[in-house]
Amino acid sequence: MEKVGIVGYYQVKPDLDAMMSPPEMIFNAVRGALDSAGLKRKDISTVIGCTNDYYDGKTISNAFKVDAGGAYMKDESKVEFDGAHAALYGVFRILSGNHKLAMIYGYSMPSCFNYEAVRILELDPTFDRTVSLLNSYSAGGMQMRAYMKKFNVSLEDIAKVAVNSIKNAAKNPSALPEAQRSDISVGDVLESEILCSPLRKLMYPILCDGTAAIILAPEKQSLKITDNPVWITGVGNCQDTYYLGERDLSISTSMEIAANKAYKIAGINDPKKEIDIAEIFGHTTCEDLILAEAAGLCEKGNGTSLLDGGPALNPSGGTMSGLTPCVCGLTRIIEAVKQLRGEATGYQISGAKKAVATGQVGFCAQNNILYVLEGGGN
Amino acid sequence: MAKVQPAIISSGFSEHASKRSDVNMAELVNEAVENCIQMANIDWKDIDFVINGNMPAFEGANMPELWMGDHIAAKNKPMLRVTTGGTTGGSVTIAGYYAVASGLYETVLAIGFEQQSCGDTAIGLASVALGEVTIYPDVGYDFARMRSNLGAGAAIGVASYQAMNYMARSKATEEDLARVVVQNRRNAAKTWWTHLKMPTITIEDVLDTPYISYPLRFGMVCPATDGACAILYTTEEKARQIADIPVYVNGVASVANEPAILAPNMGGAGQVDPCEQLGAMKSAELAYGQAGISFPNKEIDYVEVYSPFPNQELMWVERLGLFEENMAPEAYRNGITAWNGELPVNCSGGVNSTNAIGASAMERPAEAALQIMGKASNQVPKTVHTAMGHGWGGAINFITHVVMSDEPQRKWR
Amino acid sequence: MEVGEEIKMPLPKYIKKEYKRSRTLRGNWYLTSYKYKFNLSRIKPYLKGLKEGYILGLKCRSCNTVSFPPRLICGRCLVKPDQWVKLPETATIATASASYAEDDKDHERPIPVIGVRQDGADTVLMHNMSENVDFNTIYIGMPLKAVWAKERKGSWFDIDHYEPLEDPANELNKEENKK
Repeated sequence: MEKVGIVGYYQVKPDLDAMMSPPEMIFNAVRGALDSAGLKRKDISTVIGCTNDYYDGKTISNAFKVDAGGAYMKDESKVEFDGAHAALYGVFRILSGNHKLAMIYGYSMPSCFNYEAVRILELDPTFDRTVSLLNSYSAGGMQMRAYMKKFNVSLEDIAKVAVNSIKNAAKNPSALPEAQRSDISVGDVLESEILCSPLRKLMYPILCDGTAAIILAPEKQSLKITDNPVWITGVGNCQDTYYLGERDLSISTSMEIAANKAYKIAGINDPKKEIDIAEIFGHTTCEDLILAEAAGLCEKGNGTSLLDGGPALNPSGGTMSGLTPCVCGLTRIIEAVKQLRGEATGYQISGAKKAVATGQVGFCAQNNILYVLEGGGN
Repeated sequence: MAKVQPAIISSGFSEHASKRSDVNMAELVNEAVENCIQMANIDWKDIDFVINGNMPAFEGANMPELWMGDHIAAKNKPMLRVTTGGTTGGSVTIAGYYAVASGLYETVLAIGFEQQSCGDTAIGLASVALGEVTIYPDVGYDFARMRSNLGAGAAIGVASYQAMNYMARSKATEEDLARVVVQNRRNAAKTWWTHLKMPTITIEDVLDTPYISYPLRFGMVCPATDGACAILYTTEEKARQIADIPVYVNGVASVANEPAILAPNMGGAGQVDPCEQLGAMKSAELAYGQAGISFPNKEIDYVEVYSPFPNQELMWVERLGLFEENMAPEAYRNGITAWNGELPVNCSGGVNSTNAIGASAMERPAEAALQIMGKASNQVPKTVHTAMGHGWGGAINFITHVVMSDEPQRKWR
Repeated sequence: MEVGEEIKMPLPKYIKKEYKRSRTLRGNWYLTSYKYKFNLSRIKPYLKGLKEGYILGLKCRSCNTVSFPPRLICGRCLVKPDQWVKLPETATIATASASYAEDDKDHERPIPVIGVRQDGADTVLMHNMSENVDFNTIYIGMPLKAVWAKERKGSWFDIDHYEPLEDPANELNKEENKK
């Protein structure tokens, strides 16, 4: 696969209740990304947006965002899964040779609706929806119980990983201010409210409003735009079966298949040694560990060892720095890009050359996508 | 490094009806997928990537392909969801093209479906503007006037504005509109999967119905249908081995315009003349340029346009470069666009006879591909070498355009 | 829109397919209420102008397009326009259609609903005409004049409706068409 370059990005600072209208927020992200790369709206060739009709409260939610996304009279389309999937469609369009510059943006505003209530519509209408016991909390709790039992991991070990993520978020200037707590301890996490045993409140992210945008370009054009592009060298995607009872919740088959495909394309043989940064989108702290293990970054059941050595797990705080549906996958890519370019002030991991960024959608990470990114001199 | 040329090797449909109460969504899509895979003669395990799309407001299900995975050959396979309102089927077709053209995946299945009987169609269509109109009462736009002004045209919304402008420009009469309806419904009677089959309808039957909203009558309007459609893509080498006549997709474009009638944050709507359709003209220019077509009227043999209302069919064949401005009604009167004419249009019945919103923009390129392969149920008598399928939707501002041929002629840019 | 099912009218020659209803599951889910956010920074000065009797449009300095009512973002240039201009009270019809009263089930008395393009602006606003305007006399391009409401309170309908003006151009067109 030819390399695709990420030449610009912009994150709107997350907020619990943003005082902005949707077109304004998307305009800020898209304009910011263009300005950071030194490009004009005329240079854009295609625009892919990521929004979700049920999260916006209206059908065809991208019909009225054509102006704000910079897509007037441009080839544009919309993906409904996650920001990382929109980036995948952007990679398709660049690699086909038809387009020279792709603008990818994601948007959603959880302050305008009740996220957990609307998630009930993702369930299968015949059985799960009528019973309506399955939601993010119960799914996370079941997954955690399966993982703890199979690999004999204790609650304190998972709490240590949560503490690490929250402390990292405190160093990250683009994290949600309410999620930043630099003085947190393992005891605080264990004593926080029980959402669905054994899942604790401080192991589950806080929902916030946000937008993010990135710009992709082919290899030759990326070198004309910037001296410091970050290359996407491999990508893999896979979807598991839907029913929780048919899967082994302590591992993630879809992430293994996706990661193997991405590593094969990128030519990575030993991810434990070759990858420096891992930005994982997991819906809970335990899911971060399960997905990191399935991506081959450590041995199965040994996820907590990532705190001591090997690839750095979520130096930006991961989802504990604020979760926005439809945007979080793009944010993980942007955080990895910042680390590889040396622009992550305050939480930079020195000498980072290769990184992994993931996105997901569905209950218990049903559909996973993984990117392998390589940076310039750092 | 060599680039990849995508080819369509088969397309499948499910039975379309006004209420498919005998199947649920997964089974409906499975019908179309089985039809498609059988015609292509491959095993479902060979499929590498699945793309799905539908308009989510009508069924009340968010991202239904998450639980439909086993029925659509997508277990432990990559999956993507693309939705753009009325043009969803066309966007999924274009996404399938790009998935193969990127070189990352070899065999890709694209699916579009809709089961409108599951929900309330009127509410689903009205909620396109829901977010924008909630602020109006706060600035003095009371509900009674809003219902009258923004709901003009009843269920068909913006199409009556397009019809008024088009008829003022081209001096088309209601009889011209009825002629288009008669041609579509008679063609639908010969295609196996369509919804409204009327083999003996006449112009007087159509003009005998009352007005929904001037100038469109009840007899001219499209139905609400349940149905699904699937298209299978693969690379050029594999297509030559599997299919007798692979259909190469040479040009795709989907250019978006500003919304009409209503704009975000209560601004003025950008499209002054709703029948001008700059987005369609630019899409056609891009797609023809990629496919190497200089004279669409002479080089294209078969056309499928997206026209739930008859005035739109007359408008699209002009804007997409096939006839001169205001010359389309005369072409229809002279039989140029009939089944046995020089440039047949919508021989599968078009959207006027079957409208499953998520699938109809995909059924246009799917039928055009079948005509090139020679396997359509209403096969035209002339040999079809180049064909095109088109889609329209959104708040009048989305277009998709797919140009395909039996010879690869892709212009590398 | 389903044709031929609930409405009784002569539509013979229609082949209908029969499907057995095997199993259906009814469900009503009240999920949640949605909040929508709007930016009124351009609308408030416009409404204040209406209260004082001016019609104001917003011009984008980069591409010179004037939007009426004002828009937040110019799609062509990707900037937020900020130059206000005063527009005259005359306008033309850009597009038109008909709506019907609640009790007019057979759709026999069309009420015109027009898309108005204010002179000097490049956008369309949906509005009404004066009462007793016959729908058959309106045409695309007809000149109009804005009629103010009796009491202006800074609300959207301070321009109450538009009334038609004399159009010598239309008389010439009618003579041309007769030839």
